[in-house]
Amino acid sequence: QGTIHPFRKTHRSLFGKLTQEFTLVASDRRSWRVLLFGALNLLCTGCLLMWCSSTNSMALTAYTYLTIFDLFSLITCLISSWVAMKKPSQVYSFGFERLEVLAVFASTVLVQLGALFILKESVERFMEQPEVHTGRLLVGTFVALFFNLLTLLSVRNKPFAYVSEAASSSWLQEHVADLSRSLCGIIPGLSSVLLPRMNPFVLINLAGAMSLCITYMLIEINNYNAVDTASAAAIALMTFGTMYPMSVYSGKVLLQTTPSHVIGQLDKLLREVSTLDGVLEVRNEHFWTVGFGSLAGSAHVRIRRDANEQLVLAHVTNRLLPLVSTLTVQIFKDDWTRPLLTGALSASPASAPLPSVGPLELDPLTSTPAKPSSPPPEFSFNTPGKNAPPVLLPAPGHHAHRPYALGLGYTAAPPTWGAGTAGDGLRTGGTWQVNNRPNTPFMELIL
Amino acid sequence: MEDKYSSNVLSGSKLGMVEASDSRYLSFSITGSIAYVAHVLKLCCDFRSAVVLLFFQKPFSSGKPISKRQWIKLVKHAVFSCVISLLGFFGLTLCGPLRTLLLLEHSDVVVIALLGVLFTSSGGGPSKTRGAAFFIIAVICLLLFDNDDLMAKMAEHPEGHHDSALTHFLHTAIAFLGVADHKGGVVLLVAALLLKVAFHTASRKLSVEMGGAKRLHALDNLLGTAVLLPWVVVLSATTESKVESWSSLLLPLLMIVFCVLILDFYVEAVCSAKMEASRVARCGTAALFVSALVLANFWTHPMTDPLRPLSKSPAQSTEHVLSGGVIVSATFFILASSILASPSRRGQKGTLVGYSPEGTPLYNFMGDALQQTSQSLPRFIKDSLKQILEEYDSRQIFYFLCLNLAFTFVELFYGVWTNSLGLISDGFHMLFDCSALVLGLFAALMTRWKATRIFSYGYGRVEILSGFINGLFLMVIAFFVFVESVTRLLDPPNINTDMLTPVSVGGLLVNLVGICAFSHAHSHGGKSCSSHDHGHSHHGHSHSEHGHGHGHGSHSHGGHGSHGHSHGSGGGGMNANMRGVYLHVLADTLGSVGVIISTILIRHFGWLIADPICSLFIATLIFLSVLPLIKDACEVLLLRVPHEHEKELNTALEKIEKIEGVISYRDPHFWRHSASVMAGTIHLQVMPDVVEQRIVQQVTSVLKDAGVNNLSVQVEKEAYFQHMSGLSTGFQDVLLLTQQREAMKYLHDGTCIM
Repeated sequence: QGTIHPFRKTHRSLFGKLTQEFTLVASDRRSWRVLLFGALNLLCTGCLLMWCSSTNSMALTAYTYLTIFDLFSLITCLISSWVAMKKPSQVYSFGFERLEVLAVFASTVLVQLGALFILKESVERFMEQPEVHTGRLLVGTFVALFFNLLTLLSVRNKPFAYVSEAASSSWLQEHVADLSRSLCGIIPGLSSVLLPRMNPFVLINLAGAMSLCITYMLIEINNYNAVDTASAAAIALMTFGTMYPMSVYSGKVLLQTTPSHVIGQLDKLLREVSTLDGVLEVRNEHFWTVGFGSLAGSAHVRIRRDANEQLVLAHVTNRLLPLVSTLTVQIFKDDWTRPLLTGALSASPASAPLPSVGPLELDPLTSTPAKPSSPPPEFSFNTPGKNAPPVLLPAPGHHAHRPYALGLGYTAAPPTWGAGTAGDGLRTGGTWQVNNRPNTPFMELIL
Repeated sequence: MEDKYSSNVLSGSKLGMVEASDSRYLSFSITGSIAYVAHVLKLCCDFRSAVVLLFFQKPFSSGKPISKRQWIKLVKHAVFSCVISLLGFFGLTLCGPLRTLLLLEHSDVVVIALLGVLFTSSGGGPSKTRGAAFFIIAVICLLLFDNDDLMAKMAEHPEGHHDSALTHFLHTAIAFLGVADHKGGVVLLVAALLLKVAFHTASRKLSVEMGGAKRLHALDNLLGTAVLLPWVVVLSATTESKVESWSSLLLPLLMIVFCVLILDFYVEAVCSAKMEASRVARCGTAALFVSALVLANFWTHPMTDPLRPLSKSPAQSTEHVLSGGVIVSATFFILASSILASPSRRGQKGTLVGYSPEGTPLYNFMGDALQQTSQSLPRFIKDSLKQILEEYDSRQIFYFLCLNLAFTFVELFYGVWTNSLGLISDGFHMLFDCSALVLGLFAALMTRWKATRIFSYGYGRVEILSGFINGLFLMVIAFFVFVESVTRLLDPPNINTDMLTPVSVGGLLVNLVGICAFSHAHSHGGKSCSSHDHGHSHHGHSHSEHGHGHGHGSHSHGGHGSHGHSHGSGGGGMNANMRGVYLHVLADTLGSVGVIISTILIRHFGWLIADPICSLFIATLIFLSVLPLIKDACEVLLLRVPHEHEKELNTALEKIEKIEGVISYRDPHFWRHSASVMAGTIHLQVMPDVVEQRIVQQVTSVLKDAGVNNLSVQVEKEAYFQHMSGLSTGFQDVLLLTQQREAMKYLHDGTCIM
């Protein structure tokens, strides 16, 4: 197990695989255009890098990194068309949709790291400002601007379009929106172009070009070489501002978080689910996005012991499935090993979740009689206010009376319970107590 | 309404006029500019205005009597106001009237809004931020791009010793800061502005106590005169007067006193009574600055020569002339004050929550309410330090970060001391590298946060993401080193190796200690990776050897570490975050080795090409050593089935199929969420007559043995599909479910009884 050896082996096969996948992507006609633009972009980037070293301008270098970012976004575009062709494999069971999220994240982070590098260089330059030659500065600016805008406007880049729509707006966009709101008060016609918010990539390209033009003017007129460094720092900061929201958005997808915009909808659905007949609580709910947009999730639903599992499962799935496309619901019953319950279960017909008299008499533990007549309890899953106080009950009483009060024996909980974090536990604990309230008299009875 | 508006406009224009005369007065005073005059001027003004105000306001006869404590407060107030106006006058002698006006004459509303944007998080939207940025740009313009000092101020304090102690002290302070007089004046005026605003805010209570601002003003002037009088008497007794005739000064002084101090005060009082404060601030500032610019433009014009009774020598009139920087900064000041003074629309920030039973909309002002409860800074630092030191990983990173920062600052300090640019830029370079450590530290801290609604699995995944980012960081560094060394390969520059050796040898010594510490910790549990060093001791040439050399022994060590852990990250092995930080540190560590090797080669054999080749080699090695980290992190982020559990999971799935009652399974998803959590979901189809909970228990225990500790099992029977097809109204869903049923039937034809 040396360092290099196994790595090399995978690398070779990786290379072969890469060419294979590349031919697969290239077979699609739509990706030809992307490839063409990629080649043009490479050419343009090479030219710009040469001009950067000949002008010795930091600002132009910072602007060139935006061109390199365009190259990344074209690669992301290719990846997304590849992802669309691939089916989920055995090891990548969710499919490759996340690859495009990862590509977006990596390219935004890379360009931010480049901006960080520019910032560091500018700090060093502030101490000793070298002379900047303006010869190719303006030419380079306009070539880069032209190519960037051409690439942005003519290639339909699905993942980046999605992210730039979904991510929160950057400070640059906010300022421009604020300005253009007052501008549109004067000229209403502009509102269709400017108003909700501008495309962040177009915006940063224009802003960068503008600051380069100012740099050119000031250097030409007054020979202020320090302006070049200042405008490099400004472009780097604008790059940060533009890319940061996008990397936060895609990073949150990668971290398997619940997207905040669906939380309201999810809460509503879960509340509906918890008021279904037979459902006691929903816990360990995890909802997250697989790729851009498609939601996956799992939840544990605790039900009454005499409820029909399959019927509840069908109802829960039916509620959640429109929103959550990859759904797993684990139905969970307390104390199912008790022979009484299995008797009751087999006795109760599949279609009738309504309580029969049998289990009611046999098992006074269940809160069955109260349930259908009284309005279903509103369970709150995440309102901290509701959950904060009642953490007291489960631990002491529950362990003390385990041999007797099997109805309270939640120790039979699935292993997920153990893996749940403290916050989770607290939440569930809160809900428990609400559910157990009818049971407490019985516990005292046993005592 | 109409009437009120016209009166507003009227008073606005009046305000502008008076402020213009204000600027003119400043011009007057500057033409006879002597630092000494400032005191006298102040005294005279105070005295006269006190007399006039006394006459008008009758502070003693009207209003309630003043207690002893209030007198003490009044004296304090007067002393402070004297100090502030003296600061203002001193700034005036340094910067000239125009710049003083630009800096000092901002209304409190503007300055308070500016401070609000700068120091609180709820600034009030992007427009306020823009205003603050404009303000700062304007001040910077005055500081940097105003070439006022080029014109006349080149002469270094010809008078040598200054007349009064205060003046002398301020001159010494400015000289100590090492800036030009003019720039010192700008700094002084900004300080005076801040003091003035603080003073106004503080004296608001006193003015209520005294029964009105006007009475306070009058008394204040009187007391100020009393305070300044002894000083001026002493001054005029000890130094010979530079003013030839007091009589010729009398008339202008009278005019100044009338226009500036009395009329100004009353107009301002009227304006603030008639208009809202923000409007006064906007109109007043704009009018004032524009008229000041116009006047300053005309002041140096030859046409105005007869208007200058106090000017003695024509040479002085070239001082403090209009320059491009001043005009730009005046424009920015006008913009900034108009933006900052505009009323904020914070009330619109609420989000609609719902409707009350009566039907009125309910809004939620979460943002403001939350900001109220922010904790104090020292407490926050204490808490986070405690959190950092709690756990091994974050403690290691923290200690290393501290060491690294200490070394950086020593280097920076030494660089400034010896004026060595190479050392300074190397120091900045190390700060750049420290950002990776900060990222790692933050991730290690975040990992322990409690799970929330959004992060339902907990924050454990953050460290994988941080490892990924650190990997990308190293790749970027490798790329830059590579590019730099290629350019150097084509054109090897001459390297000065004199300073190189001590710094790099020092670095190497620190590195060796770090490597020892690391291997010690590694043998314990492979958790620590805190070797410390500073990698790039390049003096005189920037990045090629910031690079990261690979010594032989340490290379094999590092390679082993990273590879070994790529398989064992589940248990006690190094997590992705620590791996990223470790690789970063390793790359830096070995950089110094590379520097030493290339230094030796250059010095003994004169191979200048050794340096770029060394860096090329280093860049490639960094790249290769980072690839496994990135690959592993990618696999986790892409939700791949974990490598090390693949076999176990397959056998577990086989076992599950053999469980009694299980027909088949579908959609098995297993993935590593974080170092401690391995999650999984699976759907099972079972026979109608088995108990679901028993199946769940069995499957759970089987998969738990395979390492899955966060599992959801969905157990489906035939009845489920029937219910689903009954429930789902959509045709597509029915079709899908029927197909699933068909598949089930087909698979287990004999066993399944439908």
